[in-house]
Amino acid sequence: MSGMTKENVSRVIEFLVENKKRGGDVSLTDVMQLAEVMSGSMHDFLSTVQPAVTEELRSIAREITRMKEEISQLRAKDMTGSKIPEAGRELDAIVEATEEATNTIMEAAEEIMCADTSDPLAYQDLVSAKMIGIFEACTFQDITGQRISKVVKTLNYIDERVSSFIEQLRIPEGFELDLPETEAERRERELILHGPQHAGEGVSQTDVDDLLKDAQADIDKLFD
Amino acid sequence: MALDLQMPVLVVDDYKTMIRIIRNLLKQLGFEDIDDAADGTEALEKMKQRRYGLVISDWNMEPMTGYELLKQVRADGSLSKTPFIMVTAESKTENVIAAKKAGVNNYIVKPFNAQTLKGKIEAVFSD
Repeated sequence: MSGMTKENVSRVIEFLVENKKRGGDVSLTDVMQLAEVMSGSMHDFLSTVQPAVTEELRSIAREITRMKEEISQLRAKDMTGSKIPEAGRELDAIVEATEEATNTIMEAAEEIMCADTSDPLAYQDLVSAKMIGIFEACTFQDITGQRISKVVKTLNYIDERVSSFIEQLRIPEGFELDLPETEAERRERELILHGPQHAGEGVSQTDVDDLLKDAQADIDKLFD
Repeated sequence: MALDLQMPVLVVDDYKTMIRIIRNLLKQLGFEDIDDAADGTEALEKMKQRRYGLVISDWNMEPMTGYELLKQVRADGSLSKTPFIMVTAESKTENVIAAKKAGVNNYIVKPFNAQTLKGKIEAVFSD
């Protein structure tokens, strides 16, 4: 205790020596006296430490205020209450539009496939009408493109805010905790569910054919 | 085993449009008896009630995936010889190797064309 003076230490030693001479019996008065001696000896120490402690507490308070501002700028309620549900609705609409267009195109193709070709003029009229139907159905691409742009905009909005928040938190590298594997993650791992790959990332049909030809050799390599 | 266009074919996919596409392609190839199931569980039930000459299955389905279906088919004495083609967007090397280890007869990566489907079916029955 760097702030404790020699005089204070001597007072505590004197008290302990006096107490020992009395055979070690400790009364409530003795305890009070010791407390008085100790608090007196601590006074000088605390008087030097207090400004530093106060400054530290002020610094913590400032940090809490700054974090509160950051949290409010995160606009979490806006994200969960508006932006994310809206993006979900856009994606549902995309699925619906592509499904509707696919059905229209497939129905047209099926009708052409099953059409009676014995009357060439009637067949030509049917094919022309169905082709126009196919072109019309393809207009879904424009609308879904716009919807996808809105979803991308939302993702960028979330990315910006979360990135800024993480930056303000000043999280050191490698701080992230390992989360326990969820049931869905376990299923994906065990059943090898990766989903579609981007162009150039997965194997091509030619690669698959080669793999199947030499599958046993590749399996053996895994155990080398 | 010879390719018989009269044999019943089971198409397994949770995406109705894909079932419709494969069904139409199979019809173009001359197959007439085409059945479908929405996942591995339904497919397995149908396979226990009817003898199919070929199964064409997606991988990623719930509750039972095509990979699990393949393993169960190969483990079942009465179904184990059924030709099985995987048609899937799962295109990682480990998927192909796992499917081969489980006993798949051929593997088609989505998106695919009619020529690929035809070629793989013919390859299965020419082996």
